[in-house]
Amino acid sequence: MTAAALASAAGAAPLPLVPLALSETGPVWVQLVKAVVIFVFILQIVPMVLWAERRLLGRFQARLGPNRVGPAGLMQPLADVLKLVSKEASTPATAVPWMMAIAPVISITTAVLTLAIIPFGAPGAYGGEFALAGIDVSIGLLYFFAFGSISFYGLMLGGWASGSKYSFLGSMRAAAQLVSYEVAIGLSLLGVAMTAGSLSLVEIVQAQDNIWFIVPQFVGFLIFMVAGFAESSRPPFDLPEADAELVSGYNTEFGGMRFGSFFMAEYIEVLVISGVAVAIFLGGWHGPGPEWLGPWWVLLKMLALVFLFIWVRATLPRLRYDQLMTLGWKILLPLATLNVLVTAILVVLL
Amino acid sequence: MIFEQILFFVAAAGAIGGAVGVVVLRNPFFSVLALVGHLLALAVLFLLLRAEFVAAAQVVVYAGAVMVLYVFVVAYIGGIEEPIGPSAGPLRVLGPLFAGVLLVEIAIATIGSGLRAVSSTGPAVADDFGSPEAIGALLLQKFLIAFEAASFLLLIAAVAAVVLAQRRRGLEEAGGETPLQIGRRPPTGPQAEDPAAAGSGGPAGRAIDERTPTVAQGS
Repeated sequence: MTAAALASAAGAAPLPLVPLALSETGPVWVQLVKAVVIFVFILQIVPMVLWAERRLLGRFQARLGPNRVGPAGLMQPLADVLKLVSKEASTPATAVPWMMAIAPVISITTAVLTLAIIPFGAPGAYGGEFALAGIDVSIGLLYFFAFGSISFYGLMLGGWASGSKYSFLGSMRAAAQLVSYEVAIGLSLLGVAMTAGSLSLVEIVQAQDNIWFIVPQFVGFLIFMVAGFAESSRPPFDLPEADAELVSGYNTEFGGMRFGSFFMAEYIEVLVISGVAVAIFLGGWHGPGPEWLGPWWVLLKMLALVFLFIWVRATLPRLRYDQLMTLGWKILLPLATLNVLVTAILVVLL
Repeated sequence: MIFEQILFFVAAAGAIGGAVGVVVLRNPFFSVLALVGHLLALAVLFLLLRAEFVAAAQVVVYAGAVMVLYVFVVAYIGGIEEPIGPSAGPLRVLGPLFAGVLLVEIAIATIGSGLRAVSSTGPAVADDFGSPEAIGALLLQKFLIAFEAASFLLLIAAVAAVVLAQRRRGLEEAGGETPLQIGRRPPTGPQAEDPAAAGSGGPAGRAIDERTPTVAQGS
């Protein structure tokens, strides 16, 4: 982002040097403001989602949930974080300590970087010409996949470096699961990319002016959500940390804020998948009311999808490993391929 | 300009360091990780060359899909305790020889052509250079036949892999383990197909029996 400014200041090539930083995203100070606002805002939502999840799980299971710290238990996440910060980050004797230190960093960095492509508002909604997204890149969807696939290394290295069999089995499951579902999640979005004729999330949202893509691409939406559950290792796809079998899977040996980082990365990932689903299938910032309401519509739809994540967690039991593989390869993959094929034929014909 | 140059040298050092690491590191797991680092550094270099689609594809396909399988296999098979042994025989002589020849060849090519452009600003690129649309147009119009031939080649390789895997299934019919049984103890207790035989499944099975008395034997 600073590259463009430096280039124009030096009077060199007018083209931005790093193509990721397209000039449409605004001047440097706007980008900084956007980055800080999105980052801080989402990071404040994470504890609230955590609290909401625990309270809702309580309701689903006919109990109260945390209600002691603060009014209605609202301060519970703060207490949890304080507890985590004060705990020791121990390393087993068989571990590779430096790798255990960087694994949570990889997880949380990739999760936060993916946040950048979620579009929150129409270009010019709050004045200026730039889109209300961290960045608007022509490879939008691929950016999402790229960081999604790097985030796997956080889990993998964390599990492997722990030097514990439970951790190792957990990370192996994570690897197999991610490889299996990445194909389906990619194909499920291909239909939308073909219909909208672009990979940029801002342009995809703009293409939903008349009709949200959830209507013509309902199959794609279903596949994306199921595969999204699997990608974020949330129940019922939480085999990498299946607590009945693997203690806590890849993060068994992590303590303190290292564990907290993994935990937070998982919740940010849930928010990112919700945000991408909102942008791609649920019309993004489109909604009744004036244009400046756009970001709030995005947020509302995101939180509705987060509620769906929690609801599914409370409702469905964990899949068995062979069921997981069967679902991924024998049901979702053919279905997604068929969806792409039908969409391609329709796009050409219509 | 400065930002671009810093990024270039960081990525270039990363690419070279990763490539050296793949060869030098003795632990196969670290070798694979060095390769991941190398591929990510290459993606940054592609980005600097304004080829954003290639950069993304590099990360998604190589660092994402291919290397995940590498890591998966190496983590299972090659543990920390089993570093790769020293290479022996003619490889010890031929390996460095070929590497040296390749180095000289690349050096000639670089000095002969690439270095001349160092002081210039480089060729002008179109606005949509490297975008998904531009790459798609190139692949499906200009280089259609080469593209289809490459995909056909990959299809043949995939079918061949399936056929080869199919042939190995003969082992299974001869009493080998099915993939579901690998690494699992034979069922004991009430879950065993033949309760009388439970507990005689081998050392692993017996170890379990000593701690948990089985119901089937009692009734």
